[in-house]
Amino acid sequence: MSAYYEFKLPTKILSGDGALEHIPHELETLGAHRPLLLSDRGLEQVGTVKIVQAALRQGGMPAAETFCEIPPDSSIDTVNQIAALYRQRACDSLIAVGGGSVIDSAKGVGMVLAQAGSDLLDAAGCEVLPRGEHVPFVAVPTTAGTGSEATLVAVVANPAVQVKMEFLSYHLLPDVAVLDPRMTLTLPPRITASTGFDALVHAIEAATCLQRNPVSDSFAERAIRQIVLNLPLAVADGKDKAARMAMANGSLLAGAAFSNSMVGLVHAIGHALGGVCHVAHGDAMTILLPAVMTYNLDKCRDRYAELLLHVAGPEVYAATPADQRAQKTIDTLVDLRRQLAELTGLPTTLSQTGKVRQEDFAAVARTALNDGAIIVNPADADFDEIIHILEEVWA
Amino acid sequence: MAYGSVKCCLQCATCSMVATCLCRALKFLSSRDTKIKEEARLWPQGKTLRLEIPGAKGFTVTGSEKGFRKLPQDTPGDVTIRFKSPDDAFRVFTGQISVAQAYAQHRFTLRGNMGLAMPFVRCVDIVEGYLFPAFLARRILKRLPKKEVSTARVYLAVLLGR
Repeated sequence: MSAYYEFKLPTKILSGDGALEHIPHELETLGAHRPLLLSDRGLEQVGTVKIVQAALRQGGMPAAETFCEIPPDSSIDTVNQIAALYRQRACDSLIAVGGGSVIDSAKGVGMVLAQAGSDLLDAAGCEVLPRGEHVPFVAVPTTAGTGSEATLVAVVANPAVQVKMEFLSYHLLPDVAVLDPRMTLTLPPRITASTGFDALVHAIEAATCLQRNPVSDSFAERAIRQIVLNLPLAVADGKDKAARMAMANGSLLAGAAFSNSMVGLVHAIGHALGGVCHVAHGDAMTILLPAVMTYNLDKCRDRYAELLLHVAGPEVYAATPADQRAQKTIDTLVDLRRQLAELTGLPTTLSQTGKVRQEDFAAVARTALNDGAIIVNPADADFDEIIHILEEVWA
Repeated sequence: MAYGSVKCCLQCATCSMVATCLCRALKFLSSRDTKIKEEARLWPQGKTLRLEIPGAKGFTVTGSEKGFRKLPQDTPGDVTIRFKSPDDAFRVFTGQISVAQAYAQHRFTLRGNMGLAMPFVRCVDIVEGYLFPAFLARRILKRLPKKEVSTARVYLAVLLGR
């Protein structure tokens, strides 16, 4: 546990039926009237964007402009393009409807606009930016995974150097996070599983890394329990509204936890796999978690043992001898992953993704070593050790 | 703690001195320690890193195949690590906490690409392994780096400014 900690979650949370319809009111109280609605092509096609547009119209505040061209891995160029559109259309607020890429893009746009700049690269860093001009920002997650609606982090790809860049600032936190059951009902089982496992990794890394603190622990532990109980239900029946809402809340809790305690080696290697080989983030998390937990086991044995209570429940915890609880936690997560893989075809090895070649391992390891997440991982990891982890999860 | 107080002045003086030692040790080891040598070799060409301590002397370094090199005092950094207070820097420079712990405790800010700061952080960990007594290094570092040069030689280089 960190000897000194800071925790901030200023985001107002709207969760449940009819949450979308409250967005115009929230924007009005923030002094905004011309929102720029951001999303992606897929969500536009399945009608999710239309639902939000209708809710805005109903509240008397239609979007001044809608931009649905955000790619799955948002880039610095996309962010700069949206910032230019925002100014051109005289918008005064942002509504991001989507997964991590859309919400992180909106954070990047907000940062560029707040600093009156034109290039996101000028804003790179950690806790350095003054608040600048306030750009009202509403985040509407459509996956229960990234938790980006409650984090101070934005990950945006820099294609020029094949790296996903991290931006950390408390000013990136949205003013409002909207969890509405209509937003995740159409998410296919495979993506539900992958993004849900991402949320689980957020919670587990937040609960075990060097920056963990009493407040983030409470968020992380609750998130783990909600996700472990509800992810299989949401995957098995996407229309299970209760499971979907529990997952949305679990993801937000995990986001709030890791926003204030950071993530570790699973994310460092995962970001590198995304940047170098374009492996989907949730898939990378799913593949890496058990191997990295095993790698960290010596440093985290006591904490992993405590987490068994949340991962497996009180009966299993009580029935497991104290010295076996840490390993039991890892085994339980492997079982959960196997269950999800059987239901959805979720990859459990790098070779199954079809995107990674063993020749890429060196580039992935070098990139992972320079990822900020590695600094708070409980155990040190060098180039050879990361290569070893990659070999372990290859097939 | 107010700027100008005796405690603050002592802390700033200590930080300035340790920062100089750290920089000299980094330069010395970058031609003798395999891992630091490799970090310097892979350092992006022409990029600079600046370490700033409020009220104390910081430094700017760059790396190349020839090793790490200190740049003139006011050279700006492509990436800048700035401690939030002299007290925060004092904790790191006197071995009370590691750089990783300082990061986890929000004791410094970082301007620029974090990816460029990571090799520097790894090097500082190794340098601390040489400069700090083993019991101290063992307490704060995730693992003790393997020494390839005797600590006495590193201290001599630091004292002579080589």
